Amino acid sequence: MQAGARRTGAMTDVHRRFLQLLMTHGVLEEREAERLQSHCYKVHNRSAQVDKLEDFIHNINSVLESLYIEIKKGVTEDDGRPIYALVNLATSSVSKMATDFAENELDLFRKALELIVDSETGFASSTNILNLVDQLKGKKMKKKEAEQKEGEFTLHGRAILEMEQYIREMYPDAVKVCNICHGLLIQGQSCETCGIRMHLPCVARYFQTNPDPHCPHCNDCWPHEIPEVFDPKKERETAVSKSSRKSQRSRQH
Amino acid sequence: MSQRPRGRGRPSFQAEHRDEDRGADPEAPSTSRAAGGASQGARRSQAAPAPGPRTQKQLELKVAELVQFLLIKDQKKIPIKRLDIVKHVMGDYRDIFPDLLKLAAERLQYVFGYKLVELEPKSNTYILINTLEPVEEDAEVRGDQGTPTTGLLMIVLGLIFMKGNSVKETEVWDFLRRLGVYPTKRHLVFGDPKKLITEDFVRQRYLEYRRIPHTDPVDYELQWGPRTSLETSKMKVLKFVAKVHNQDPKDWPAQYCEALAEEEGRARPGPSAAAPSS
Repeated sequence: MQAGARRTGAMTDVHRRFLQLLMTHGVLEEREAERLQSHCYKVHNRSAQVDKLEDFIHNINSVLESLYIEIKKGVTEDDGRPIYALVNLATSSVSKMATDFAENELDLFRKALELIVDSETGFASSTNILNLVDQLKGKKMKKKEAEQKEGEFTLHGRAILEMEQYIREMYPDAVKVCNICHGLLIQGQSCETCGIRMHLPCVARYFQTNPDPHCPHCNDCWPHEIPEVFDPKKERETAVSKSSRKSQRSRQH
Repeated sequence: MSQRPRGRGRPSFQAEHRDEDRGADPEAPSTSRAAGGASQGARRSQAAPAPGPRTQKQLELKVAELVQFLLIKDQKKIPIKRLDIVKHVMGDYRDIFPDLLKLAAERLQYVFGYKLVELEPKSNTYILINTLEPVEEDAEVRGDQGTPTTGLLMIVLGLIFMKGNSVKETEVWDFLRRLGVYPTKRHLVFGDPKKLITEDFVRQRYLEYRRIPHTDPVDYELQWGPRTSLETSKMKVLKFVAKVHNQDPKDWPAQYCEALAEEEGRARPGPSAAAPSS
């Protein structure tokens, strides 16, 4: 006797399989999510029309709501790709769930996180992080949420999606926010005059057709290179490998 | 904040100790949460000292924590002990543990398609069984590689079944040797096969590993563990073996009969069916 008469969405095996397989990924790009979705429809022989991904996910989220988890959509900070991750909304259970890591490993992660949030560039060098280790007992730890770029650590899309709320609560003074979307900002560009910051993809969209970009706050010239807006169609056409794409982005502060 | 039960037309979840009708849907429409003022509903008793009346929201959150805990613990494929659940998740709510567990089980089934099962009756340990049939193409859209060790497990399970449900460890190695798997040699895919078979799979309850008394040199016997019986079936394993040999399961009449008998035994609903809610 399931709670079938939910006023929220209804789960079918198509949704369940999607959810199960989604959980095997830490984070999923939009294109991969669409592929996963159509796979799930195929398995259960649904001659029914495949829902639009957003609606499909919205349906699942309405059921997940009571479990305090959500399939959250975000955008990668470096090149604006849409991503999806299953995130925990109940901050109270964060520490309880982390039974995978030892106390000192968690402590290191928190300290490294603090370094990253505090930093100007959104990156903390590995040297600085390693120096933290002296303050703890135990070995250095690697965590999927920390992404390495040329010897520096920052937070990857999934970590930001999952921990945005936590970060805002823990470091309300150090936290940086994007002037356009008001979301948490780890990496981005900043105005040299008034100091406001923007995500790279937000910059791309805001200045898209503007040949002479100015700061939206103080109207000074915007000194940085304007990145391109992420275009999924272009993605599919070119066979550019992931690694070379990532290096095209320039971070400037 | 009214103390009267809201007129929602069904028994308030928080009114009682969950000892009855599961028909009440505790995950009420989000209006109750969005309304900010928590829908307190009826309080348990007027003089409410410790541990205090629990709001619907608190109970909902507790069930959510429990569901997450079970999902994460099951990932490692180690049976989840009731003691751990009570220790890490329940806290003050341990008095209503059975009800919360039942709710969590229902959520796991409805939302994820996982069934919470007790490994053996009265063992107070639990595992999650996938009620969705795994499909070959799943492997292409998975985020992890699945576990390569499953292949080795299937081979050992097959061997055990084909040999009459019990096999000596020495026989296992004689067989695996032919596939290039040795107890003492590191394997490219499986790592340490000896540890995998005699420790990891045993800890995960896929296999049972028992010493055979009075053997010299010491020998052990391997059988199916309780998790295997829950997660798969003799027929499925027989079909796997048949596929490997490019033959038909019926080519092994004795095993085929045994597998069939097991299927029929399962198909017949027993007197104590799955927990009838309410």
